[in-house]
Amino acid sequence: MHCKNCGKEFCKGLWRENPIFFQVLGMCPTLAVTTKALFGFSMGMATTFVLISSSLVISCIRKLVPPQVRIATFTVIIATFVTCADYFLKANFYTISKELGPYVPLIVVNCIILGRQEAFVSKHSVAESFVDAVGMGIGFSAVLVLLGSIRELLGFGTIFYYKILGEGFENWVIMALPAGAFITLGFLVGLFNWLNSKLTSAHKI
Amino acid sequence: MRKTIQMISVLTIIGLVSGTVLVFTYKYANPLILDNQKNEIKEAIFKIFPKADTYEKDIIEDSVIFRAKEGGKLLGYAFLAEGNGYQGAIKMMAGIEPNLETLVGIEILESQETPGLGQEITEEEFKAQFKGLMTSPKITYVKNKPPERPNEIRAVTGATVSSSAVVSILNEKIKKLKNALQKLR
Amino acid sequence: MKEENLYISPGPHIFSKESTPGLMKDVIIALVPAIFASIYFFKVKAFILLLVSIVSCVVFEAAIQFLMKRKIAISDCSAIVTGILFAMVMPPSLPIWVCILGCFVAIGLAKQLFGGLGFNIFNPALLARAFLAAAFPTFMTRWNHPLSLDAVTGATPLGLVKFSHNLDINYRDLFIGNVSGSLGETSALALVIGGLYLLIKKAIDWRIPLGYIGTVFIISFLTNLISPDIYAGGLFHILAGGLLIGAIFMATDPVTSPVTKTGRWVFGIGCGAVTMVIRLWSGLPEGVMYAILLMNALMPLLNRMTRPRRYGT
Repeated sequence: MHCKNCGKEFCKGLWRENPIFFQVLGMCPTLAVTTKALFGFSMGMATTFVLISSSLVISCIRKLVPPQVRIATFTVIIATFVTCADYFLKANFYTISKELGPYVPLIVVNCIILGRQEAFVSKHSVAESFVDAVGMGIGFSAVLVLLGSIRELLGFGTIFYYKILGEGFENWVIMALPAGAFITLGFLVGLFNWLNSKLTSAHKI
Repeated sequence: MRKTIQMISVLTIIGLVSGTVLVFTYKYANPLILDNQKNEIKEAIFKIFPKADTYEKDIIEDSVIFRAKEGGKLLGYAFLAEGNGYQGAIKMMAGIEPNLETLVGIEILESQETPGLGQEITEEEFKAQFKGLMTSPKITYVKNKPPERPNEIRAVTGATVSSSAVVSILNEKIKKLKNALQKLR
Repeated sequence: MKEENLYISPGPHIFSKESTPGLMKDVIIALVPAIFASIYFFKVKAFILLLVSIVSCVVFEAAIQFLMKRKIAISDCSAIVTGILFAMVMPPSLPIWVCILGCFVAIGLAKQLFGGLGFNIFNPALLARAFLAAAFPTFMTRWNHPLSLDAVTGATPLGLVKFSHNLDINYRDLFIGNVSGSLGETSALALVIGGLYLLIKKAIDWRIPLGYIGTVFIISFLTNLISPDIYAGGLFHILAGGLLIGAIFMATDPVTSPVTKTGRWVFGIGCGAVTMVIRLWSGLPEGVMYAILLMNALMPLLNRMTRPRRYGT
């Protein structure tokens, strides 16, 4: 199998086409489960698993599927993997899956996944699709962990349950609430777009 | 016509494969999930009754109770209580002495209260108040001052709704249990 | 923003001698009685909070305008007004660092991020208060008894009526301001003096305060008539809590309230209705802050819906 653009396809998910910062997709889990870094990480891993496995399967069978039933087929495949991920979390990481609640089954409707299948996988080879899914998954997970870390740090004084801020720190309850998710995400999106514009304008000169 | 057949066959095959995959996943995961749920209950019961070595599940009328025992001697009843909190359901396990008058303790199993405020009901400081709490005539709560009577607890500051939810869920369930167990005697 | 772009603001294009610094100075003068009242009732705590709040608002305004390469416009006094109003709605025993954080939210998040004075959708002081109320609920619900420097906590009159059903109200204390509450909201007398000054100088439009206070009075009068043991009367709801400071100084903010006459009526009545719904039937004792913020969000819609018809169409 050849894969001439693999490096490029991998990197774009991390930065230039980052699903959260630049495509602004998958906002529901991004805002809902990032109260703590660990939950963000688990959610990112579950989504990455679904993204990679459905990309692999769909890129293998993409030529066999008639375009009329394309979406239905994709959805069935995605839903299957999501259910597997949900069962796996419930069986092996019971406490985490209780915290994530309905957001694991809701990966089915995460637009990053169906979006990648439609926009990329249905037109590219297996190897390219795989690399693209890995890049997008890592990019998504990294942002969830970053968002979760900031909110956990300010909201609870810890990161991954490790105490960072001392006793004198007063927890910002708002960071553990939905409002904190919106504020933090807004700042991060602004910051990264500003950084990106700086980088691209510097590149042109 | 060829198109239609292709569409039907592709969808059928995908559906069949998905179904098979799900069956195997379910077979692998379901026993583990049931185990987890059972463990959660077990842990909560042994946390409330640290001396207990066994417990038996029993269904009286429509409520499930667990008889916690130490070497055959009845230590008390543990029961699940569920109700609405400030933002979502609060589910807890509570233990009560065999005379049904004194609480042994509570454990919060599930809650979606405001983190840092209502969620304080899951903290040891709040839960410890239920140790040895009298349930007659009913549990009540006070705000911003230490409790005085043996059936009073102190509500979490700034989270009266969550605290009163815990109290009223317990009261309701205890009333039901008393009725059910008294009929049994 | 590029300089060569021409912007045409929506009509009416009326020239007026009023200027932003002039208007802001009027508001500051109108706030003087309330400032004195707060320092009288809450002593050093009030003075420190006011000082910290004004200084940090001005510093943040200058710093953010410098960083965002905007023209530094602290001379328009709007940051000073935000600072005073913000301190006025804070509980007296607020830690200083929380106050500074609140000023950063008011100036940075609520004002400069939206584009500076004139572009903010929400009243900066109130948005900062909402942020702090969500972030530090314990600090924001710890009230001091007035005239005492020790940390005696006392429930606000609204809290007493709502949660303890204590309808034994001392109207004289309520009017003078000898009750627990935020710095500037307790003394109805001082706020009314400031409000009258603003009305005489025509710095604020009378429709919003009248619509606001009138609605509150009517609703509380009616509910009091129906069940007098649970709900306090109309006068109580006007004098207690942040209603007067909200109706006179916050809801009338020219940036965040509608420009049309009908719009201003709707705005005031809406504020009053939401405030009373929160005060009477929600889990919170006070609703002025959320009522005004909610109506702020509706402001562009109100402006559009109540746009005056061109003559003859």
